[in-house]
Amino acid sequence: MTKNNNELTLEIAQLLIDSLNITHVEAKDVNITTPLFSEENELELDSVDAIEIVVAIQRAYGIRINSELPTREILNSIQSIADFLIKENATEKVA
Amino acid sequence: MDYNNNFEHKMYAHCETGTLVSLLNNAGYKITEAMVFGLASGIFFGYLDTKVFSFPTFIVRSKPGEVRKNLSKVLNIKLKTFKFKDADKGMQKLDNLLAEGKVVGAQVDFFYMDYFPQWMRVHNNVHFINIIGKEGNDYIISDSYNREIAKLDQSLLKKARWAGGNMAPKGFLYYPEKLNPDVDLKKLIPKTIKKAARNMLNLPLSFIGVKGIYKFADKLKTWSKQVRDIEHFSHEIIKINILLEEQGTGGAGFRYMYAAYLKQAGEIMNSSVLNEMSEQIMQIGDDWRNISYFAAKIGKNRDLGEDRIAELSEMIRKQGDAEKIFFTKLKKVY
Repeated sequence: MTKNNNELTLEIAQLLIDSLNITHVEAKDVNITTPLFSEENELELDSVDAIEIVVAIQRAYGIRINSELPTREILNSIQSIADFLIKENATEKVA
Repeated sequence: MDYNNNFEHKMYAHCETGTLVSLLNNAGYKITEAMVFGLASGIFFGYLDTKVFSFPTFIVRSKPGEVRKNLSKVLNIKLKTFKFKDADKGMQKLDNLLAEGKVVGAQVDFFYMDYFPQWMRVHNNVHFINIIGKEGNDYIISDSYNREIAKLDQSLLKKARWAGGNMAPKGFLYYPEKLNPDVDLKKLIPKTIKKAARNMLNLPLSFIGVKGIYKFADKLKTWSKQVRDIEHFSHEIIKINILLEEQGTGGAGFRYMYAAYLKQAGEIMNSSVLNEMSEQIMQIGDDWRNISYFAAKIGKNRDLGEDRIAELSEMIRKQGDAEKIFFTKLKKVY
């Protein structure tokens, strides 16, 4: 069954929380359009986390994030990650 | 905003290639970022341990400016360039070029690009932007790292163009003066591929190309003796990830971008071999990405014991083996 945008973005937020061992916020409370690496984002990420997010998404959805689209554009927000997965037809988890 | 309305702004993986692609595309010469990088034989490796750098570092592409120079030579296009000793004259020249309706590429210190949030901005003298117009005291900027066209105050642009230090921009400007409509890519591609392979395999310097990757693997094991403390060590190990993934490399130290070039080159040459080679360098890129991930993880966790560093060193050494096999095969394609 195809996920809707809310389900997909919630799933991505949970993936980030799990892979980065974040304990101070729940997936449902993360704003999906706030830039991921800004001070306003609830996840409080730093730039070192970017590679962990890239690898977590690649492994979870069985895709490769490479230079066809700039990584920084894909990782701009949870919504932009969801948009990328939808575009790549890779919204179903493989791991 | 007062600027050339036909200018199409896009984000690109890397600032130097992105700026060049934008300038050429907007001048009517259609080319992709991967083609620019590949035709300019931009793929590279160098382990740098000299007094210029406060700590050993490495590069994964040809030095800044080389892509532009090589592309110009390969495509036989003329890119008019300027450097200035006098900042006022350099700003005036920019205004004159904009008044002529030209879009102008510029080298700047990234730190002054205040349309990015402050936490992102670090001093880096080799950032490239396109300046597409002027409105009052603001310049209109197309920055391939930014989602939108932005404005930059003239005092900041002046500081950015005349920042001091290593690789200082010296007000550098450029624009395409003469394009060549008769490019025969089928003739050019084999030459650029051979050149890239030669650069990686045959340059007689122990720190360059595949030899540089092996040197990196070996020397990494001595870094613990060169660092001040664990914080410094962590910083240098995390920098491996930054250099491979974060500095506009398109991921995996430009290996993905070169894979995209070989794929596009394969289509032009109607070559299934190039397509296969594209897949192979993509997989090599995946392994560089694993190195990035590993380095970021152990750096962040301060997990920097001898065994961990030996593990990282071995991963890098295997990349040397993989790239040696890859570029040896690539060299023989043509």
